[in-house]
Amino acid sequence: MGRKDVIALMNDIITTACKFVTSSIGRKILVALTGACLLLFLVGHLAGNMTIYGGDVAAGGTSWIDYYATGLHSMPGWLLWSIRLGLLAVGLVHIVLALVLKYENYNARTHYQKEGTLKATLSSRTMVVTGIMILCFMVFHIWTFAVCGDPHNCYQVIVTAFQQPWCSIVYLVALCCLFMHVRHGVQSVLQTLGLSTRKVRPLYNIVGILFGLAVCGCLASIPVCVMLGILK
Amino acid sequence: MANLNLTLKVWRQENAQAQGRIETYKAKNIPDEASFLEMLDIVNEELVHEGKEPIHFDHDCREGICGMCSLTINGVPHGGKKVTTCQLHMRQFKDGDTIWIEPFRAAAFPLLRDLVVDRTALDKIIAAGGFVDVRTGAAPNANNMPVRKKTADAAFDAAACIGCGACVASCKNSAAMLFTSAKAAHLNLLPQGQPEKNKRVLAMVRQMDALGFGNCTNLYECEAACPKGISVDNIAKLNRDYMIACAAEAVGVYS
Repeated sequence: MGRKDVIALMNDIITTACKFVTSSIGRKILVALTGACLLLFLVGHLAGNMTIYGGDVAAGGTSWIDYYATGLHSMPGWLLWSIRLGLLAVGLVHIVLALVLKYENYNARTHYQKEGTLKATLSSRTMVVTGIMILCFMVFHIWTFAVCGDPHNCYQVIVTAFQQPWCSIVYLVALCCLFMHVRHGVQSVLQTLGLSTRKVRPLYNIVGILFGLAVCGCLASIPVCVMLGILK
Repeated sequence: MANLNLTLKVWRQENAQAQGRIETYKAKNIPDEASFLEMLDIVNEELVHEGKEPIHFDHDCREGICGMCSLTINGVPHGGKKVTTCQLHMRQFKDGDTIWIEPFRAAAFPLLRDLVVDRTALDKIIAAGGFVDVRTGAAPNANNMPVRKKTADAAFDAAACIGCGACVASCKNSAAMLFTSAKAAHLNLLPQGQPEKNKRVLAMVRQMDALGFGNCTNLYECEAACPKGISVDNIAKLNRDYMIACAAEAVGVYS
């Protein structure tokens, strides 16, 4: 393979890549792949959060969540920042492409005087709304716990925050949005990646609902337990 | 056999540039064995009798096979009974009902007059790749060309698409994915269509994007509204085939 052949091949690959990321299906696939990454991140985040049930120093034991949070922060700087920036990039691709697709969809429509819906679920029709709500919540979430929080005193920071009812309510509302988003997202990812058939589609739907219920239920249990005085 | 008295809320628009509006008509004494289009014929006869402009709508075979009739009935293309408008019968409605009748709406389907829209965009998608380039002869003898039963069934189901555009009209994003995917799958599944599979998929998807259709968000409204029961499995297949075709194009594999 000569130099010219390599250049020609690179040229073809870049041309196709450009066409892919500007096509409807290509962008949908990118939204699906980044969505899948975010779903995996959600599972990891949930696993970490569940360490709060491991007890607190004040109660006489060691605080698992403080240990976990300190552990995360003691990662080498380059690793910690690559994970953070990687997640930011994945999130940005997901959000920006989804908004661009939505904008195009808005322009592709002319509206009916009398709207009718046969099958589309509320969550599937409100993905952009719930997505934006989750984004707003994430800014608030990162501000309260990551920027203003203290990894050495993680347990107390969480309990103090959720003892304020408004804070718990914000979290519970955000988790409802997350459930709606994930419930459609799971089966939508599988359909967009071409892994869906009429045989498994109903199963994917149930998996999506169960996944959403499990993740959002477990995450919601923390503010609920704090408000009920189980975590203190 | 009861006759129905209905109130119709019909979209009227003189031409593409005019401002459209909903007008109310009384449909009196409609036999319940009439089709939806025959009901409009009865209303139109009365309008002509009164010296008014009849309601313009598309129709042709009135047998549910040509894909020419359209109409969005109460917000759902073809009325959502898994049949075309010409096969929708008035027994599906009750005496005293109010029925909203609108055109198939999408930016890619420019309105021509009243309930008539221009669905040429679908033909343009076919012209981009929904064909086999060489002559493949007449229908081959049975078992002359081995095709798995399940593959043949899937190709047949996809080929049932009559190109009416209900998928686009029902889609909350006005996407043409169900139509494009059915037309691509029908040929891609069979031996006659396979040699040009990648070329076809790329050409049809790029044409679909260029025509200003929306992007699929997996709402499955299209499948529910389709009078021919085309499955969204075809959309999953088109997504798969598109990924493969892009990869093949990038490294110069032309199948």
